Amino acid sequence: MKDQLSALIDGEFELTNAEYLITSAKSSGDISQCWAQYHLIGDIMRGDNTMPPNFKARVMQTLEIEPALEKLEINKVVKISDIKDKSSINFTKKSIITSMPIWSVAASVTAVMFVGYMVLQQNAATSELAPIEIAQSLPLEYLQAHHNAAPNAAAYYMQAAYAGSAVDSKQK
Amino acid sequence: MKQVFKLNLAVKHAAVFFASITLLFQTQAYAEDVWTTLQKTAIAARSLNYSGIFVYQNGSQLRTVQIVHINDGTNEFARNTVMEGEPREVYSKGKDVVIIKPKNDKVVMEKRHGQNLFPAILPSSLDTIKISYSARLGVNEAVSGRSTQIIYLESKDNYRYNYKLWVDEENNLLLKMMLLYKNETLEQVEFNQIDFINNPKSSSVQPKIDVSKSYVVDDATQSSHANGGNWQISVLPPGYRKIDQIEIKVPNKNVIVNQLIYSDGLAAVSLFIEPVSKGVRPKTGHITMGSTNMCANVNAGHQIIVIGEVPATTVMEMSKAVSFK
Repeated sequence: MKDQLSALIDGEFELTNAEYLITSAKSSGDISQCWAQYHLIGDIMRGDNTMPPNFKARVMQTLEIEPALEKLEINKVVKISDIKDKSSINFTKKSIITSMPIWSVAASVTAVMFVGYMVLQQNAATSELAPIEIAQSLPLEYLQAHHNAAPNAAAYYMQAAYAGSAVDSKQK
Repeated sequence: MKQVFKLNLAVKHAAVFFASITLLFQTQAYAEDVWTTLQKTAIAARSLNYSGIFVYQNGSQLRTVQIVHINDGTNEFARNTVMEGEPREVYSKGKDVVIIKPKNDKVVMEKRHGQNLFPAILPSSLDTIKISYSARLGVNEAVSGRSTQIIYLESKDNYRYNYKLWVDEENNLLLKMMLLYKNETLEQVEFNQIDFINNPKSSSVQPKIDVSKSYVVDDATQSSHANGGNWQISVLPPGYRKIDQIEIKVPNKNVIVNQLIYSDGLAAVSLFIEPVSKGVRPKTGHITMGSTNMCANVNAGHQIIVIGEVPATTVMEMSKAVSFK
């Protein structure tokens, strides 16, 4: 399912089956999250500015709040030379292990920001605002909105993605 | 001799004049008769009680639909059950239309606006469509074992499609229709079976509820009514007028999109306006998909997208009619 969602977002999925996927994505929490994640990745890849302006501050704030306990334990690691009771060494190892999430979060954020930055830079170097032909990027969300407001017979009786694929389409 | 010749000429001119006047009145009366029949057709679809099966064809795609329509004198109900492809029911009460689709362990409901479900494709008032369409009678044909009168609704220009309608001679119900463009059939709907109900029960049109599933509303595209904007629409194709304007929130987009809806009484067109987001490649060009045409262009930093069940010319001209203040 996740592979199919990814393929759909990439425009490589059969559109006649797209409605099923989209509906499933909306109705399932996991798939919905995947859907959002795929779009986030897709937006970054395409150069959409989806990152909120205070994103960095929020990440830093989260890191400040979450590792309060780990900070204490990390301090113990730093002060390992002062440890007199050897039995507490095991505790120190545990401290290192429990402090792993903060490093993995930080590494992930850094990696995502780095990749995003590189992609943005690449897009900036190329013509990022060059228009794309509508046939290559069908605005199905707008077709859905059109059918919501002014439905025709196809909108009633066929799948939502029908208009995009079930009949012969021609670009002029 | 000259006077006799002049008299004969005057008589001839008078005869031609009176013949022309008579023909004009007859033509007007004929046209009125056609529109009167169409008015009865519009009413019949909403007032009669009937059940039947019709086939909807769009390109190579076919759908068989079972319909039950009840008007109990106070409310109008209809239930359309699509019998092929993905299971779905279209349930309507008055102008409220809901599409109900089972999906895995859920049932998804989609709200629709409008009241143009076959056979009620004609609006209650035909004044609007008289502006853009001319009507003429065709021959008689049998549909589903019933005698019908063919009526052509033809566009007065190239900005809309033509309709061929088969109207029941006994009760004026629309039994068959074709959507045509340049002799090509874009859509066809035809009753294979039709029965008229004497003792209607509104329970016969209630949607079937699957209690084992949870029902969810598909409200992915949120909307609210709006007015005006920093744009103006100059000259539109003739016959189209704005019937609504809404602001919609499209999934995965941060900007509010304005949707202006135009109609000529039968065909509908949506015109979308939104600022081009930074870093997003705007869409341009045109594509035809069955009876639907889409056109996109960019104007003053705004993305314009026009979608409608109309010829390509219409969406193209509408997309160029937008200018910004």
